Amino acid sequence: MESRLNTQSVGLGAGLDKAPTYIDGLDDILEGGLPRGRTTVVSGGVGSGKTLFGLEFLYRGALHGEAGIFVGFEESPQQLRENAATLGWDLETVEKQNRLVLLDGRIKPETVISGGFSLKGLLAVASGTQRDMNARRIVIDALEVALRLFDTPQTMRNELHALNTWLQAAGLSAVLTIRQARGGPSAYEEFFESLADCLVRMDARVDAQITTRRLRVIKYRGSDFGRNEYPYTITTGGLRLAPISTVGLRHKPLGEHMTTGISRLDDMLGGGYRRGACILFAGLPGTGKTLLASTFVAQACGRGERVLYIGFEESEAAMVENVRSAGLDLKTHVDKGCLSFLVTYPEAMGAEDHYFRAMERIQAFCPAHVVVDAISACERMGGKLASYEYLMRLLNGCKERGITVFLINQLSGATGYVEISGNEISSMVDTVLFLHYQPCPGETNRVLQVFKSRGSKHSNVKHEFVITDAGIHLLDPYVGEGDVLTGTLRQRQELKDRLEAQRLAFDIQFKELELERLRLAQKEAEQALARRAAAVNRAMSSTPATSLNGAGESRESS
Amino acid sequence: MTRHAHSVQNVQADSPKPRYRLRLFIAGDEPNSTKAKAMLARLCDAYLRGDCQVRIVDVLQDYQTAIEYQVMVVPTLIVEWPPPVRSILGSLTDEDAVLAALGLMKEGNEP
Repeated sequence: MESRLNTQSVGLGAGLDKAPTYIDGLDDILEGGLPRGRTTVVSGGVGSGKTLFGLEFLYRGALHGEAGIFVGFEESPQQLRENAATLGWDLETVEKQNRLVLLDGRIKPETVISGGFSLKGLLAVASGTQRDMNARRIVIDALEVALRLFDTPQTMRNELHALNTWLQAAGLSAVLTIRQARGGPSAYEEFFESLADCLVRMDARVDAQITTRRLRVIKYRGSDFGRNEYPYTITTGGLRLAPISTVGLRHKPLGEHMTTGISRLDDMLGGGYRRGACILFAGLPGTGKTLLASTFVAQACGRGERVLYIGFEESEAAMVENVRSAGLDLKTHVDKGCLSFLVTYPEAMGAEDHYFRAMERIQAFCPAHVVVDAISACERMGGKLASYEYLMRLLNGCKERGITVFLINQLSGATGYVEISGNEISSMVDTVLFLHYQPCPGETNRVLQVFKSRGSKHSNVKHEFVITDAGIHLLDPYVGEGDVLTGTLRQRQELKDRLEAQRLAFDIQFKELELERLRLAQKEAEQALARRAAAVNRAMSSTPATSLNGAGESRESS
Repeated sequence: MTRHAHSVQNVQADSPKPRYRLRLFIAGDEPNSTKAKAMLARLCDAYLRGDCQVRIVDVLQDYQTAIEYQVMVVPTLIVEWPPPVRSILGSLTDEDAVLAALGLMKEGNEP
């Protein structure tokens, strides 16, 4: 009791002796493991994996040299062995090495109760076994099944108290698992909470018809711990957690620019995409997001770099076929082993299973780039939160490895900035390309705009692009007056401009001609004047000066 | 299992055809265990006229047998014969419940 009081104060985490669980990701959250020689209570609903938690604590402990006792009130040792085998654990071998004992505590259904009783049998059996095998760990699974035998809360509490006293004296690192009642904590759960040094809650809930699993450490006497809810999954090998708080500080810096596969886009981005960046393509259906991503994929694979394409919308065959019409041959890259597809329906499993599957593939395939098509489909993994967690963890995993991530976000219509950035992950996104339609009379044209690009100067002008059978072709922006113009409007405006220029040229020419005409007229007038002057001179020399005016004029007009 | 088979053999050697074969698991001399021992002795006398084999297993001495019989709660009375095998938990103070589980009628009226 004394040592327990000493550890009540916070901040002694480093000093507290811990028993590692060796469960993937869990020891990070527990800052080393469960409290050694003390009691941990794991509560959770049906199917949350409590039994597995306990069994893995013992199995991995046994593999690391700490013998353990498993007392099960719900499952037979044979069932446990079979379940463990599906996860690849060989319990029988460690049992033969006397490092694990599975004790069957199931109470037969035909059992009759008559009078008072206690769990002293359990304590005697556990004590004896502990001595025999020098056990360091114990798991009592589904303890609530045994507790239900006691008909008053008082006797139940007495039994728990006796159990707790015994566990403390035995010095075993203990895990007690209890099923959480549907309608909230029952009387014994509250008691558990007060006696446990460490309290872990496992929760398998169904969001949008998809099971998501969360683990939370509710308290840990004398130690610090991760306080969030952590998604976990049950996969080959056992439980697996993704502690997000322990990642994020190991992100690799952005690397050099790489060509996008479209030279004009490279110019817009100040040289192309940055290696290790997160690039988001947002746009309405049909704007060419997948094609834009595939253009890069083909480029990268052409350089011999590996790309993992995580698809939620279309099959591999459909994907390959769709971009083939735009001149992209992804099949060759698949055959060469440069391109790998991971295609699943979002609804097929929970977000954490999607995450672990993706990370498993990333670890095995070691891609330089990952495409997620489309993040808008991730909500179907079980809601907004599930989608957010999946993406955050996936992005973290990729950023740690310096993998470039391309996220495709299909917008539903509204084009608010929040929706474009997608799933509140915008802080993780380095570059956003926004693809949209520019409605024009009689047609709709595609335009591309760089919304944001960290760490590189970029153009913020909207560029029109067209999809040809040789891929995406970006046009020079129309840089005349007024709005960006696309398609026919742009052509019409350009024609108008051309005509205007011609009109002006004609105008000048016309004015020059006019000027010339005037000059000629002036010249003619001057010549006429000169002729008249000459005639006058002639007349003055042949007629008398007195009749000069009248005689001279009548002669001229005749 | 060896230990179990061995002990059963002993019982059969003592008395080849007992009407009931019972095994009572107790934990030392704690109150419920003491009570159960006394109750079982009385019931055997009153209803079976001693025609029963009773083995007492003290789990504090012999936890191996408790493991074998999956006994985590004491006292536990296991009816090994006649079949089917049944368990009765507790100090056996609820006489009616014990008699019903053993398939016996009250006050010496045998079935």
